[in-house]
Amino acid sequence: MKISNLIFFSIFFILLLFSITTYVNYTQSEEVRDNAAFLSTSSEIVKQTNRFQRNTLYMERGLRGYVLTGEDYLLQSYDSAIIENDVLLSELATLTVNNPTQLQKLVKVKAVYNSWINKFANPLRAIKPDTNNARNNSLPANYQQFLRDEENLNKIIQKEFRELLNVEYANRAKRSAILQKSEQQTKVISILLTGLSIVVGVVIALLLARHISKRILNMVAMANSIRYGNYKVQVEDEGDDELSELTRSLNHMAKTLEENISLLQRKNVELDQFAHVVSHDLKAPLRGIGNVISWIEEDHGYELPEKVSEYLQLIKGRINRSENLIQGLLTYARVGREEQVKEDVDLNLLITDVLESLPPVRTGLVVRVENLLPTIYTNRLPLLQIFTNLISNAVKYHDKPEGKISIYSKDHSSHYQFFVEDDGPGIGKGYYKKIFEIFQTLQERDSFESTGVGLAIIKKILDDRKEQININSEPGKGAVFSFTWTKF
Amino acid sequence: MKVINILLVEDDELDTIDIKRSLDKMNILYKLHVAKNGEEAIALLKSCPDTSSPTFPNIAIIDINMPRMNGLEFLSVIRSTEEWKNLKSFVLTTSAEKVDREAAEKFGISGYIVKPLKLNNPSSIDAFNLMIDLMNMKD
Repeated sequence: MKISNLIFFSIFFILLLFSITTYVNYTQSEEVRDNAAFLSTSSEIVKQTNRFQRNTLYMERGLRGYVLTGEDYLLQSYDSAIIENDVLLSELATLTVNNPTQLQKLVKVKAVYNSWINKFANPLRAIKPDTNNARNNSLPANYQQFLRDEENLNKIIQKEFRELLNVEYANRAKRSAILQKSEQQTKVISILLTGLSIVVGVVIALLLARHISKRILNMVAMANSIRYGNYKVQVEDEGDDELSELTRSLNHMAKTLEENISLLQRKNVELDQFAHVVSHDLKAPLRGIGNVISWIEEDHGYELPEKVSEYLQLIKGRINRSENLIQGLLTYARVGREEQVKEDVDLNLLITDVLESLPPVRTGLVVRVENLLPTIYTNRLPLLQIFTNLISNAVKYHDKPEGKISIYSKDHSSHYQFFVEDDGPGIGKGYYKKIFEIFQTLQERDSFESTGVGLAIIKKILDDRKEQININSEPGKGAVFSFTWTKF
Repeated sequence: MKVINILLVEDDELDTIDIKRSLDKMNILYKLHVAKNGEEAIALLKSCPDTSSPTFPNIAIIDINMPRMNGLEFLSVIRSTEEWKNLKSFVLTTSAEKVDREAAEKFGISGYIVKPLKLNNPSSIDAFNLMIDLMNMKD
């Protein structure tokens, strides 16, 4: 599976778990709200019922009092209660509309109540009491019995109402128990789901991290291995996700790099062999010719015409030049491929060595080191080659009877800069580039034995090391060659 | 003065002449046996009945780069052949390469001379002195 898909599905799964948790909590809150509504209805029913009961009692007492005393004000409470009871009954009917048992009870209560009204209350109400004699004639004959019946019916009404209330209370208790249970359940489900989400999230994150980081670390190890020159590395990855793709690309890159580098190494070996063959096979016949000429001169020099001797000298000059060219070419080809041994190189001693290896400087010319040169931990040979070529050029091409060649250095923070300055013929700006090309020389070859390899070698050494070479010169005003050399 | 037998294994005629001219200046009596490569040199050695025969070389001067069998291969053959393995050998070559010198020195050579073989060539002078010493010891 692709890593992006894996991440997507993981997050989706966790979100799903959280959604379920939220849904469960939402349902629970709905239930609580329903219960609150039920409670409010229920308490309303209880309240109305109580009032109805109380009203009925008042009505009975009012009636009885009226019948006994004939006081009209006692009828007033009866009358207001009967009006209120009608309202209460219709309200209770609305409140219990969703509860068939209660509604049924209510209907029964209503019927009993109505019959009480019709049978007892209305006749009693209709009696015109004699204010002078409590024992009124208009009272029914079996008055005592009548009152007892009335009282009984009223008791039935009270009883029915009590039952209604009891049912209501029982309902409430039941509902409360259910709600409590569901609250408990919701709590458990919420905690479980949240816990599960966290665990799943952490597990997925850990797996993903391990899955990815281990492979990334493998690739980092591979890249480091390449960095330190081991190109024969491959990382194994059987997967089919983005990282596997990256791994395959890296493997391909490393393989290509390895192939190219072994090709390069092979080419270098071939070039070495080529240089070796050139040095031996090209030099041998030249030396042979030189030998034969020297034998002629040794054995027959005295009998040679002057012209022949002169021509022989010309041949020897050309042989010398060819040998120099071959040597220059070899040196150029080998730049950067010698053994790279680092050592402490004292530049002051190195310049002394250079001057000793060169032919003695002609009278009138002075070569001087201007400041104390540094000691650098570096490869000696390239520095030797650079100074040898720069100094020998300055000496060789100097065109005035007297002159000075100065060598000095400047210390920059990360590198040194070395200068070889002369007051010789100088070089025009137009030739700055050309003099660094191989076999380019500004002098006619016949008038001057120069191969045109020296500056090309210097340029190659410095280019290989990413160092800079600069020339500052004008015709007739001498030249300053400078180059940089990294400290470490 | 005793005649010294010198085996020269060299394919370049000019070099052979050059060596002869140098030897002529050394004030010794010598006989030069020239082989143009390792194979010819082996044939030459084989033509001597034994090491005490008057024509068996006292000293060998061997070039490295030669056709068919080069100097290093020839050295390897004589060093692994019982009756020839003590033959004093000098390598004379145009190659100043470290690899060639090291390869030659493995065969226990008496000197490594970079051409030209001249009395004013520093690498030749030591070799000449050694050669003269070796030849005088034969006397």
